[in-house]
Amino acid sequence: MSAGRVGPVVKELSQAQIERYADATGDHNPIHVDEAFAQTTPLGGTVAHGMLVLAAISEMMAASFGEAWLTGGKLKVRFRGPARPGDRITASVQETARQGAGLVYAVECRNQRGEVLINGTVEVPAGE
Amino acid sequence: MATPARTSLSDLARGYRFPAISFELTDDYVSRYLDAVEDASAVYRERGLAPPLAAAARGLGALLEVLDLPDGALHVGQEVAVRAGLPIGATLTLAGRVAERAERAGLIISVIEFELTPAGSDAAALTGRTTVAVPARLASGGGS
Repeated sequence: MSAGRVGPVVKELSQAQIERYADATGDHNPIHVDEAFAQTTPLGGTVAHGMLVLAAISEMMAASFGEAWLTGGKLKVRFRGPARPGDRITASVQETARQGAGLVYAVECRNQRGEVLINGTVEVPAGE
Repeated sequence: MATPARTSLSDLARGYRFPAISFELTDDYVSRYLDAVEDASAVYRERGLAPPLAAAARGLGALLEVLDLPDGALHVGQEVAVRAGLPIGATLTLAGRVAERAERAGLIISVIEFELTPAGSDAAALTGRTTVAVPARLASGGGS
């Protein structure tokens, strides 16, 4: 499996989507859903849940590896910057390495300005 | 040790164990999750398995029912390891603890380790580590 066969996944974020995510998961932190509150914070406006943005990386891996990702995938990431309503985020693979019985990928999410929102590694069983 | 309603994460010491929380990974929840993240892949339905992050997010959402995070709290890191597939419809029990707590640069940084174990199993299907940073000035008494 080469990195060229994985991703990318591109998403356009909207406030409506952020609110759907808040409703689904129960995370209604006002920094995500209350624009008036969010404008009073250093972030200056609402931002997406980190786990919502991270879902693009998981989607990319599920699309490429299917059940192997759903039964044996691992990820380790840092949230580096906020994703805002209206942002276009791209999840992609940067590097690939074989490590033991798994394939390890350096992954990231960037916004339309090229700013890194998330980076880290994911691992998936190599399979047969 | 009983947990008072809405305990503040930044007030919890390293080693604190949360009471176990059980929830069902319902078909409705998975559908709403996939709609929210706009993931139209058929693989989940074909395999009958939930996205790992759907299970992790549901577990963290359950923790938020007993855990108070100040409004300025930042989710700064996440680890997830899937040990076995998470069937849609499964009842999962979340066990979690405060694995690390540190103060630096005006932030209280807490790491929550958690695992999700399906009913009828002795082994966790998913483990995770969530790192949260709270500005120290917001730590006690909640956010604005």
